Amino acid sequence: MTNELSRVDFLADDPTQRAPLVSPDLEFKDVTQTVCEVAEKPKPPKAWYVAFGISLALTGMLFSMIAYLIIAGVGVWGNNSPAFWGFPIVNFVFWVGIGHAGTLISAILFLFRQKWRTSINRFAEAMTIFAVVCAGLFPGIHVGRVWFAYWLFPIPNQMEMWPNFRSPLLWDVFAVGTYATVSLLFWYFGMIPDLASLRDRAKGKIGKLLYGIFSLGWSGSARHWHRYERAYLILAALATPLVLSVHSVVSFDFAVAQLPGWHATILPPYFVAGAIFSGFAMVVTLMLPARLFFGLQKIVTMRHIENMNKVILATGMMVGYSYAMEFFISWYSGAPAERFVFINRAFGNYAWAYWIMVSCNVLIPQLFWFKKLRRNPWVIMFVVLFVNVGMWFERFVIAVTSLTRDFTPASWGYFSPTWIDIGMLVGSFGLFFTLFLLFLRFLPIVAISEVKGVMPQAHGHHEEGH
Amino acid sequence: MNHPNPEVVLNDDRHLGPLGPKILRTMGGLGLLLLIVGLILGITGTEGGMSRFLFAYTTGFAFILSIALGAMFFVLVNHLTRAGWCASSRRIAEITLGTMPILAVLFLPILVSVLMGYGGLFSWADHGIASKDHLIHLKAGYLNPVFFAIRWVIYFAIWIQLSKYYLGNSLRQDDSGDPALTSRMQKWSALSTLLFALTLTFASFDLLMSLDPHWFSTIFGVYYFAGSVIAFQAFGILAMVLLQRKGKLEKSVSIEHFHDWGKLLFAFVFFWGYIAYSQFMLIWYANIPEETGWFHVRITGSWGGVALILVFAHFVIPFAGLMSRHAKRNLASLSFWAMWMLIMHCIDLYWVVMPNQGGHGHGSESIPGVHFQAVDLLAILGLFSLFVAGVAYVGRHCSLVAIKEPRLAESLAFENV
Amino acid sequence: MQASANTDHGEASAPLAGILAEFDGPGALKKAATRVRDAGFTRWDCYSPFPVHGIDPAMGVRPTILPWIILGMGLTGLTIATVLQWWTNGVDYPFLISGKPLFGLPANIPIMFELTILLSAFGAFFGSLILNDLPRFYRPIFSSKRFRKVTDNGFFIGIDANDPQFDPNKIKTLFADMGTMGVEEFYDHDNRAALPRPIFRVGMILFLLGLIPLAFAVKSRHSTSSQPRWHFWRDMDFQPVVRAQRASAFFPDGRALRPQVEGTLAREQADKDPHLNQGKVNGKLVTTFPKAVLPLSMEMMVRGRDRFNTYCAPCHGRDGKGKGLVATRASSLGEGTWVPPSNLTDARIAKMPVGEIYQTIRYGVRNMPKYGPQIEVRDRWAIVAYIRALQRSQNASIKDVPEADRGKLK
Repeated sequence: MTNELSRVDFLADDPTQRAPLVSPDLEFKDVTQTVCEVAEKPKPPKAWYVAFGISLALTGMLFSMIAYLIIAGVGVWGNNSPAFWGFPIVNFVFWVGIGHAGTLISAILFLFRQKWRTSINRFAEAMTIFAVVCAGLFPGIHVGRVWFAYWLFPIPNQMEMWPNFRSPLLWDVFAVGTYATVSLLFWYFGMIPDLASLRDRAKGKIGKLLYGIFSLGWSGSARHWHRYERAYLILAALATPLVLSVHSVVSFDFAVAQLPGWHATILPPYFVAGAIFSGFAMVVTLMLPARLFFGLQKIVTMRHIENMNKVILATGMMVGYSYAMEFFISWYSGAPAERFVFINRAFGNYAWAYWIMVSCNVLIPQLFWFKKLRRNPWVIMFVVLFVNVGMWFERFVIAVTSLTRDFTPASWGYFSPTWIDIGMLVGSFGLFFTLFLLFLRFLPIVAISEVKGVMPQAHGHHEEGH
Repeated sequence: MNHPNPEVVLNDDRHLGPLGPKILRTMGGLGLLLLIVGLILGITGTEGGMSRFLFAYTTGFAFILSIALGAMFFVLVNHLTRAGWCASSRRIAEITLGTMPILAVLFLPILVSVLMGYGGLFSWADHGIASKDHLIHLKAGYLNPVFFAIRWVIYFAIWIQLSKYYLGNSLRQDDSGDPALTSRMQKWSALSTLLFALTLTFASFDLLMSLDPHWFSTIFGVYYFAGSVIAFQAFGILAMVLLQRKGKLEKSVSIEHFHDWGKLLFAFVFFWGYIAYSQFMLIWYANIPEETGWFHVRITGSWGGVALILVFAHFVIPFAGLMSRHAKRNLASLSFWAMWMLIMHCIDLYWVVMPNQGGHGHGSESIPGVHFQAVDLLAILGLFSLFVAGVAYVGRHCSLVAIKEPRLAESLAFENV
Repeated sequence: MQASANTDHGEASAPLAGILAEFDGPGALKKAATRVRDAGFTRWDCYSPFPVHGIDPAMGVRPTILPWIILGMGLTGLTIATVLQWWTNGVDYPFLISGKPLFGLPANIPIMFELTILLSAFGAFFGSLILNDLPRFYRPIFSSKRFRKVTDNGFFIGIDANDPQFDPNKIKTLFADMGTMGVEEFYDHDNRAALPRPIFRVGMILFLLGLIPLAFAVKSRHSTSSQPRWHFWRDMDFQPVVRAQRASAFFPDGRALRPQVEGTLAREQADKDPHLNQGKVNGKLVTTFPKAVLPLSMEMMVRGRDRFNTYCAPCHGRDGKGKGLVATRASSLGEGTWVPPSNLTDARIAKMPVGEIYQTIRYGVRNMPKYGPQIEVRDRWAIVAYIRALQRSQNASIKDVPEADRGKLK
């Protein structure tokens, strides 16, 4: 196996030919077997139980804290004048950002004919859904009186009032709502043929029933495939501008304000690049151990991981470019408040957060310039973990440093999180991993039919060859 | 997939041949003529005088520079992603990129005006204006003639080096067929892209943003970048269509390749809309005097009419027009949209540059309307003609297809699903 | 039919639904599909584990109308978003926010965009399911065991029994001729499974339970009650605030307003110039201007007019007669709660000690809010001086005009 795999890796660097995307010794039935096996095993690996136990406990903690928050009010958070946007917004932006990698891999790379995506797209799409779930939680509870959350939607109500459609916060409701819906449809739509694989292999009654229901009676008919492929292509084409729009709208929450450090025109593309950056880091964080635990090395090869690392490097450079532009233009603007805010970010109260952000997001990913390093699992894990941390701090730096140092020195302050803030951040990871581990256990974690479609046999090479 | 033999390309007519000198003579002559007439009009008669001529010249220069930079992006990004589809049409981009030394010469008038301390183009270059204006004074560390000159020497040094490297290695491969050259170009493409991003950004700040030295926008580099890619995709499509009319490249470039070029054009029409909207909406919404003046001038009165033209004709209409698969696979409609976008991109730059003329930029009380003048057209068309002549000059001896590119077979066999 | 002789499935009674043939890979499938198409069959299909490249022309499948459905849905989304935003914010409930137009493109584009995408995605998802006749859990072809390979590595062609050219023997020969890996008949057992009992029961119970809150809601909509409403969320309904004229349960002495802490001074107690700062000396309102602002200068009067026109004139009017823009508008609305502003030039206020006018500015009176935080001490006195001037000028007679200037009045 290792020989075959390293041959693939070797071919990838040879411009005269295209290397196969998965290990060349795989047959169609091996792909079905390898992937379905994960969901069919009567017992998952021990590590799964350990991880699931911890995640579930953290999820429980998260929901207890939410209950406490609702009963006691948002005062249990550290949010207070002048930093009215504290951890909840930071967590929201962080999780929405994580979600972007899934859509990027499934939609944008699909449009760019990057066929290597087939091995990892399902995984990343699932991650998107769960990240968006975590993200949606925070603005939901941040409204304070959650039982009035329906005010966010344009529903006729007893006050005869309508929401303000000119507010970026309402754009957020629509953008994140659309994003969650479309990602879910896209994910599920792609999964229908693979659920049918599980249905046709299912032994138990429950499995037959549930996989049967969710595969909708898929038969693999060519007439169905025809419409299915068309719909998939169009969904991808729709998801591509959508993924740009979502994080742009999130950035508008900040950028339409007049606050120095928030109001910068580069924020929309900068947020999108940052989102993809953090999302890829999260995909790699999850993929690296998962491919080992579930024996997917032949389908998710080191080359897939390396490609993702290249995307991390590229988007990391874009993020670095945006930091640099913000800094340069803040000086170039000649506006005293602009100049101050950026100097304050780097050398003021929150300099520690700023330098964590810069080192994690810009400096550490530079290791990926070197082929050896971006193929070494330990180095990869080191880098992507730091990127995850760094991207959380990026949002923290943006939200908090600007709020606590606005135009009026009299209203300056310092934000400190409470233990509830920190607990909820940790708990949201618990929720994310709980959902993710359930996905790993019960659903096809690799897009089986898509992988088959990019194997050399799919083009009839083998039959015609002999 | 059965890969056709790249040898078919050998039978293709893939040299400019006598067409090269012909284009060089006519377009070069025309360009020089137009520019000289424009210059004479500038010196003597027209309203705004020399300043007007230089503004029009800057518009034209930003236009042709954007085409060349778009070509650079095309070459770099395809090496970066190891793309195979474009192997048969990438040479067009490499030749366009090869005009960088010519662009450096064409930049001299702007550079000279700055070094002479002439305030009619860049007001900050005039010491008299700069010393009285508090904001310009604050930025003098960046906006001063000497540093401006140094920066442009650096930009052109990098661009010329990149153009020589990518065109040169690709041409060398035509002889040797060494796949290692491709590997090497791929290897350097990442770093080159980084240099490209930084130089393009600062060049756009210097050339366009600092025309109004008060105004600033962090996204401006990306805005110019989006326009550049549109400009080059359109230019490349038109060039290939015209070459095919002359019987060249008929076997090497197929409708599948045009389709992909069209897709990129379409994608960047959307991207431009996204970036332009982000820039405008954020400044409009926050409405702070430091920034909003720039747009105020450009969305009021007759410039506002131009802005509306841009919204619809630079984004909405071509977006709808290029959306369909058939529009991109029909050479007549594709070249129509390419021509359309090239003109729109030029109007976009005109709209960015021209309102600054006559000190009517930021913060002035009176808002001038569009005063289109003959000198504008002369300068822009003159520069564009010279640019086309330059492309013909670079491409006059070389093959229009990278004949021994290792992925040529893949590119020829390529089909859009 | 001859096919009913087949007893492989042990259900001779089931009608023949079609014939299935397996092929060895996508290439063979494509070739076979071309031949089936050319043989003129209409009710047949290819089945494969992934979309086979080039199968559509081989089968003669025409392009789907799905893109048009999606375009239609997208335009619907765009229209809904536009009308919704225009009507709610521009017509039905117009309100100004930070000077933005009620309805204008820049601020309304994001939602137009999102709804266009959302509805297009619905179009793509549901449109393709409906066109594909999904979900449909039972198909006759599923009765074939061999067919289960279709989601693994099986490539099949199935010809339905309702094809006009259906002839089992001919078809089998045709398939055999194409080099099939195996031919099979499949039967329409029509054995759609009923919903399993337990699932049905649980669903029914959940449904009935779900009706209970609804029933309560309906009941309370149509009945009255003397009980206070339920407080699901206590939150702000019961706040630990002190109510006027009530004892505080929080402090042991029951006093809500806390006495001065021993050994401390209120800021006003430390005031070195109460005449200037408070307009009150030893509990008495002052009748003279404080020394610090004397002598009154023209400069100060101009300053007073400027401050007066900024802070006072909106209600009291520039002439001080209580007819400012706000007052005029408020009285025209005829709301009962509005207390009209005083006429500053009438006799009552003309007789007021300056200290009282000063205090009114500083602390407010009746509905007038305090302006102490906005107007600084010297400016307050400047306003007082200007009011005094207004009182004189508005009640002036011809005698107040110097003799020399009287001529100019005519």
